[in-house]
Amino acid sequence: MDEHPQDKTGGNPLDQPRISIRFEEAAAAVAMALICLITFANVVVRYLTDASFAFTEEFSVFLLVVLTLVGAAGAFVRNRNIRVDYFAALMPARTQRWLEIAGLLLTVVLFLMVAWYGARFVADDWKYGTTSPGIGIPQWVYSVWLPALSLLIAGRALGRVVRLLRSGTAR
Amino acid sequence: MTAALFLGFLVLLVAGAPLATALGLVGALVIIVKDLGAMSIATNVYSSLAKYPLLALPVFILAGMIFERVGVAAKLVAFVSALVGERRGAQGVVAILVCMFLGGISGSGPADAAAVAMVMLPSMTRQGYPKGFSSSLIAAAGSTAILIPPSIAFVIFSVLVPQVSVPALFAAGMIPGILAGLSLLVPTFIFAWKYNWGAKGSDPTVVRKSLLVTLKEASWGIAAPVIILGGLRTGAFTPTEAAVVAVFYGLFVGTVVYRTLDLTRLYRVLVDSAEISAVVMLIIACAGIFAHAGSTLGAFDALANVMLTVTSNEHLMLAMIMLLLLIAGMLLDAASVFLIFLPILVPVVNAFGWDMTWFAVLMTMNMAIGQFTPPMAVNLLVTTRVAGIGMEETVQWVLWLVLSMLGALALVAAFPQLALWLPGVLGY
Repeated sequence: MDEHPQDKTGGNPLDQPRISIRFEEAAAAVAMALICLITFANVVVRYLTDASFAFTEEFSVFLLVVLTLVGAAGAFVRNRNIRVDYFAALMPARTQRWLEIAGLLLTVVLFLMVAWYGARFVADDWKYGTTSPGIGIPQWVYSVWLPALSLLIAGRALGRVVRLLRSGTAR
Repeated sequence: MTAALFLGFLVLLVAGAPLATALGLVGALVIIVKDLGAMSIATNVYSSLAKYPLLALPVFILAGMIFERVGVAAKLVAFVSALVGERRGAQGVVAILVCMFLGGISGSGPADAAAVAMVMLPSMTRQGYPKGFSSSLIAAAGSTAILIPPSIAFVIFSVLVPQVSVPALFAAGMIPGILAGLSLLVPTFIFAWKYNWGAKGSDPTVVRKSLLVTLKEASWGIAAPVIILGGLRTGAFTPTEAAVVAVFYGLFVGTVVYRTLDLTRLYRVLVDSAEISAVVMLIIACAGIFAHAGSTLGAFDALANVMLTVTSNEHLMLAMIMLLLLIAGMLLDAASVFLIFLPILVPVVNAFGWDMTWFAVLMTMNMAIGQFTPPMAVNLLVTTRVAGIGMEETVQWVLWLVLSMLGALALVAAFPQLALWLPGVLGY
């Protein structure tokens, strides 16, 4: 990889976390590639034989969940998630910075909540030994990633808050 | 509590909080305060995402991005230029047609607009087109991508309103999309005639290539929509499968035919398309929390009823909704607008007995127009950045294009068959 993601940000220190976002990038790319490969294999197998491995559907949609949460975590590092920035952009730079910090802190609160209730959800899957409908593996193998990756999003949003606060004191 | 739900969301939205956060947090707080079952905060995030039809979204984004990075736009421009020849307004026609064609491969506007702007702005400028006009035209033509199938917007619409299928929506978007694109020809011809843009010999650097040579190079790109739409039409593929086939076809064209794609670039395409998909799908996930809170409270029906008390005149209501959506479309992308407004609008559509497929097309046309209406237009932002001009330079031109496409919108609103004829004929 000669093309560092950091290079594209024009060296803005706000966009450069201490822990590189290579992990999020690689995980999202792998999830995307697997979704394509599994679906393509499904098409090929269906044409060559009568067999169908439609049960892989549950794994594909699980990958979709992983892709979303991991990709969004990476996007929060550079605050590239979709928002209406028209009105905020009319404010002075100081206010804009505080609005961004507030928005990110609310993001931290939300995803800590998702992680907390998600963890209880996983505990239920574990306690009752729920298995997945298609492949038949324990359901918690899938559901555990919801709280785990929600924590990752909260961490990435918090990391940006820290960088924003630091950049303020340096000014 | 209904008021708190909507007002809380609106405040966070205007303050510039991430849309996903605004929807999710307000929804989650209402769920906790009203004791609607706190576990649903987590389960809704998971279940909103874990849907098979939604798989089509990231894969269509990936397919579009592969064709864009492989360099299909330049080959198409060469072919259509050779086809149209050198005459007044010709390059404007080329820009419109190529944008529409790319819309048949990818499902989102800004990327198409950027690709075409990069290829066409220099030659259009040499032929006398002002950069303000070229940027406006490419931004406007690029916006048809969400109407011309495949369309990310329609995939999301179908996920939210499962009674209308993706193939039906794709078919319904075809004629209105073409109409929206062709409507731009009117101002293009008028201006080109008046200001003598692109007259023969105005660009001495132009290299005349034979039609056949350019067709041969462009044919790989031309085949892409045929594969995608053909596969869907025959019922051989689900939308997701059609998108995946397009991805592998794009990889073949990029690695074997054009040789513009190596492993490093392939990895970058995967990363970038995953991130663009993820930010859209995070909103879908968090909108799930908001929708759970809103529907359990009966908030959406309540707001829909408020709307219905404003007027019982069908045409007035439709006009009001269109205006509301146009403004929303200026501020946000189609997916986000659908997620916010559909829970409220679906009861209104049902109350008037409007056709849901037709309404989906009208809604998406508004989103397309919003994408290039200043001052907040995403597409225009992209093309003016490529041109290196400010958005104020486009205003005198782009408003005519907005007006033209509003004309196309009015036609589809007045004659629903423009949207509904094709899906009817195809039997969806």
